[in-house]
Amino acid sequence: MARTLRFEALYPYTAEQVWAALTDREAIGDWLMPNDFEPRVGHLFTFTTKPAPGFDGIVQCEVLELEPPRRLAYSWKGGGIDTVVVYSLAAEGGNTRLVMEQSGFTGLRGWMVSRILGGGWKKIIGQGLREAASRVVDGKYRRER
Amino acid sequence: MDEQATNEVFRALADPTRRALLTMLSEEAQPVSALTAHFEMTQPAVSQHLKVLKDAGLVTQRRNGRNQIYALDPEPLRHVADWLEQHVEFWTTRFDNLGRLLREKHGTDA
Repeated sequence: MARTLRFEALYPYTAEQVWAALTDREAIGDWLMPNDFEPRVGHLFTFTTKPAPGFDGIVQCEVLELEPPRRLAYSWKGGGIDTVVVYSLAAEGGNTRLVMEQSGFTGLRGWMVSRILGGGWKKIIGQGLREAASRVVDGKYRRER
Repeated sequence: MDEQATNEVFRALADPTRRALLTMLSEEAQPVSALTAHFEMTQPAVSQHLKVLKDAGLVTQRRNGRNQIYALDPEPLRHVADWLEQHVEFWTTRFDNLGRLLREKHGTDA
């Protein structure tokens, strides 16, 4: 069953340049969230952001894989989800394709994600849910520069 | 987003029996007796699950002679869609940021 959110983007930069933005604490703070990341497998770190209902604004993470400049994975726990985020980089004609997959949605929210992504409820759900599902499945975010 | 309504819908959906009931009701509106036939539990137990679904707004109930007919109301599932949508929005915004950051750092040419 589909339990993975996937985003894809093509950036007109080298894999090393994109990798730096994914693994430099200050850069990550600029594009993702303030953090205390270190590029070291086993390093425990947190993202901190504005709290929202049902989310205290803290994401607990651990670096799981680090393979410069190709693959980075860390756990991502917070706001009721316990997941793993994996970034993969691949050179593509002078550009770099970045694929981010967030997987391991478990429990109820995982069940919902899998049902929505799997389209099993398409005939009973409203337009809003269909749109949300198709945006994820089709990889809504796509930058071809 | 209405957090309390969202939590109520998630809570109602947390139980496999209730999810199965919703799937059955998505086929057609049915009396509790027909629904009970699918489960190894008593009719009052099924009624109790239907009440939770009703409280969450996922199921409506009407009388037809001696029977109570239950029907699905998918509207509250929008709360679930909103939750996923927020998640998608989060990453969409962040990857926009990443593209902007790379442009600022390295210009528009690779």
